[in-house]
Amino acid sequence: MSELDYVGKSVLRKDGPDKVTGRALYTVDLHLPGTLVGRILRSPHPHARILNIDTSLAKRVNGVKAVITYQDTLGVKHGFVETPRYPADQDCLASDRVRFVGEEVAAVAAVDEYSAEEALNLIRVDYEPLPAVFDPLEAMHMDAPEIHPTHPKVPEHYRNIAGKTESEWGDIASGFSQSDYVVENRYESHLRTHGYLEPQATVASFEPEGKLNVWTSSQGPFLKRAKLAKTLGLPQSAVRIQKAYVGGAFGGKIDLFAHEYCAALLSMKSGRPVKIIASRPEIFASYRHGQPLLVEVKTGVKKDGTLVAQQYRIINNCGAYRGSGVVVIFLSWGFAMLPYRIPNLRYDGYAVYTNNPIRAPQRGHGAPQIRFAVESQLDAIAEEMGIDPIEIRLRNARQSGEELPNGDNVHNCGLSDSIREAAKHTDFIRKYGKARKKAGPAERYRKGIGIGVSSYFGGSLIYPNSSSVVVKMNDDGTATILTGAMDIGQGAETILCQIVAEEIKMPVEEIQVIAADTETTPVDIGSWISGNAYVSGNAAREAGAAVRRKLLAIASEVMEANIDDLVLEDKTAYVIGSPDVRMSYAELVAASIRTHRGDPIIGDGHWRTMRDTPTHPSLATTKGRWSENYAFDAQVAEVEVDTETGVVRLIRAVTAHDCGFPINPLLVEGQIDGQVSMALGHAFMEEVLMKEGRTLNPNWLEYHMPCIHNVAASEHIDVITESFEIDRPYRTKEVGEGYVSAILAAIANAIYDAAGVRLDSTPFTPEKILRALGKIT
Amino acid sequence: MKILIELSINGDSYELAIEPQVSLAECLRDHLGLTGTKEACGTGECGSCTVLADGKPILSCLTLAADCQDMEITTIEGLASQNVLNPIQEEFLAHGAVQCGFCTPGMVLSTSALLEETSNPTDDQITKALEGNLCRCTGYNKIVAAVHAAADRMSRGSVEDSDK
Repeated sequence: MSELDYVGKSVLRKDGPDKVTGRALYTVDLHLPGTLVGRILRSPHPHARILNIDTSLAKRVNGVKAVITYQDTLGVKHGFVETPRYPADQDCLASDRVRFVGEEVAAVAAVDEYSAEEALNLIRVDYEPLPAVFDPLEAMHMDAPEIHPTHPKVPEHYRNIAGKTESEWGDIASGFSQSDYVVENRYESHLRTHGYLEPQATVASFEPEGKLNVWTSSQGPFLKRAKLAKTLGLPQSAVRIQKAYVGGAFGGKIDLFAHEYCAALLSMKSGRPVKIIASRPEIFASYRHGQPLLVEVKTGVKKDGTLVAQQYRIINNCGAYRGSGVVVIFLSWGFAMLPYRIPNLRYDGYAVYTNNPIRAPQRGHGAPQIRFAVESQLDAIAEEMGIDPIEIRLRNARQSGEELPNGDNVHNCGLSDSIREAAKHTDFIRKYGKARKKAGPAERYRKGIGIGVSSYFGGSLIYPNSSSVVVKMNDDGTATILTGAMDIGQGAETILCQIVAEEIKMPVEEIQVIAADTETTPVDIGSWISGNAYVSGNAAREAGAAVRRKLLAIASEVMEANIDDLVLEDKTAYVIGSPDVRMSYAELVAASIRTHRGDPIIGDGHWRTMRDTPTHPSLATTKGRWSENYAFDAQVAEVEVDTETGVVRLIRAVTAHDCGFPINPLLVEGQIDGQVSMALGHAFMEEVLMKEGRTLNPNWLEYHMPCIHNVAASEHIDVITESFEIDRPYRTKEVGEGYVSAILAAIANAIYDAAGVRLDSTPFTPEKILRALGKIT
Repeated sequence: MKILIELSINGDSYELAIEPQVSLAECLRDHLGLTGTKEACGTGECGSCTVLADGKPILSCLTLAADCQDMEITTIEGLASQNVLNPIQEEFLAHGAVQCGFCTPGMVLSTSALLEETSNPTDDQITKALEGNLCRCTGYNKIVAAVHAAADRMSRGSVEDSDK
């Protein structure tokens, strides 16, 4: 095995200079000649029948070039999930009904924002308000208003069931009967939003010959292309999505959004480019947020803390359309069963239609909600059994090589080491219980420590399922990567460069990246489902390996040496033992073109997780393979609770993690810090407040994201269980989503350790803490 | 009714006819093509649109372009001279203080104003100077480290300059 020169190093990000100089062009920055301003008319009602839409006055406004309603669409529905069980349920523009405040009803394109706004004001929509329902439990009642009266739903003894996931492992009844102690709790989570800084934005330009060019702030162009083509009735090849820098996404920019569809259709109608930028209040009030879950968990244990049985009932308030609401109830099963070995499991998850805005994946996609519940309960169980939080976790932690209920294997599993390292690093055992056991009068400020664990996976099958990468050598001996990957800030382009650099032994600076263009770059799975570093990364590795093989072959011919005796190093080849006689890659490329019928040395590579599995696992039953990458982490929080005010401060956050082989440690650190910060917001600060479907705090003054006053002191310990070897598949496992979860649970457990109060709902507000302390009623 | 205004931006003079209600952010981005200045909220909550007016950070989304006529405006485009990054820009990159990059121009400019006033800022001074700039990606840890590193380099640099 040769030494690693380019992976495992904190190479500076490729897009860095563009970003620090303001040269980086995001979708909001793009301007094509003749661009029209697009605006969207939204429903003011949470639930209403549309009786009539009159656009005649709007069309007469000076400067207005196109007005569209449902009548202008093909009537093709779309959905985050489109399967036979869960057919698409959303119109591109509302047809006969609106189901949430902010649902898109019409759109206009005009020469400037003033005429566009005037036209919106002149569109007359006659509504007949209908009874609405916002709470999922109320929506499940058989007498609740029916939100989708005619659309196929899952047959259940409840109303408004958008989706259901059921899964089982072992024998739950016998598991509970074997248990020495059984406990049941209910946990609630709250509505949060992604908070990406770049607003949702799209520029669409339709050429009269039939080509639709689109720039849109997204997490991957290929899914957008498929959905736009389908809803607009265009062949996929007629839709070209091109790269623009993306100013953050966190799960909120995956699926097709109405502004994308409207910009495209308005451009097709007007014959001019159309740009739509969502305002921040629009994003807060009408776009897709995360998913609050109700989690009921019943657990049975042996006296020694061995987990025997666990049963979950999850209810997801999934909003007016399915969105990813039917995915989160499927994934939650995974986040529930992954970290611990529990022989008997039962899971029922419901996604319930309500008259709230649609939901999207949000970093962690169910994991924070689930881990908060399970880890909180586990600490309570440990205390009941007289076991410390570290021991109970070590007793049940999955070990390398274990098989999961879905048939996957966890492979190398660093969970126990992560738990041990996190505990050791924080002196956990010595600190735990100190505040609660202290004699004498209670102090106002009390410190506590808590732990949580989590597991996440990456690269599961979801359209477009796989990634391909092309690496081509240039005449000057440099290389160019063609990849469909979308860098949303995580550093996708940088790590793909590092991987190719390693395979062909060429400095990262000498490699250019052409990315995220559906026309010129190969397909890519997209920057979600934590798949980039593994799926696109292994495709890049294969493409690089193909180039290396060609470089070695031509070098062997020209230098008259065995391939095994050749060394590649810093853009040159030499025979082992004779490093003074070298051929440059430029010379090898020239030789290849001369003697290999013009081949300038191009390599391609492809990767798909679960290569032998024809389709994604069942959302209904969870059966089918998920992934071959399971990452594990243990996170410890140290907090200080002010028992007078109920204010909690996160003093320290430690992440011990097995994320697989870190291609770029600096980027890995960035992911950890960012996730701990997001969890801090989740725990204490952020909540989208809604009343009857209306958002009460649609701005950052009233929706509090962490600012620089709220820096979490984030430390991390790497538990590396994987390596990178030239020409061998590697596991990066997961690093972008898994660390928002255990830390949330750790904070909750640390609050208990400090103040003796256990909260069963997020966020951990001063009010809840004071109430639990009995200081207010 | 449009009005005629004169702006001085990054050392260059511009004469423009704009509606009086046009913000400085809109003027920079849509009228002058200086899109390095970002707008994420439009209501002064996030700091993405920060530019320097006579060296002081201001929110360009809340400032009328017409009110900026007797100021020297510096945007992110005015910071790197002839494609050479300044120490703040370099240290932001070296410390991993940049992810999606949307807050970066505002962060870098706020930092620049801070370091003009305070060559060796404390953590509290950094926090105060950057409290109006939201970042969703980094958790701010690496931004604070980058500001310290830039301050160290710049104060060393100015000592070396004065030695000459």
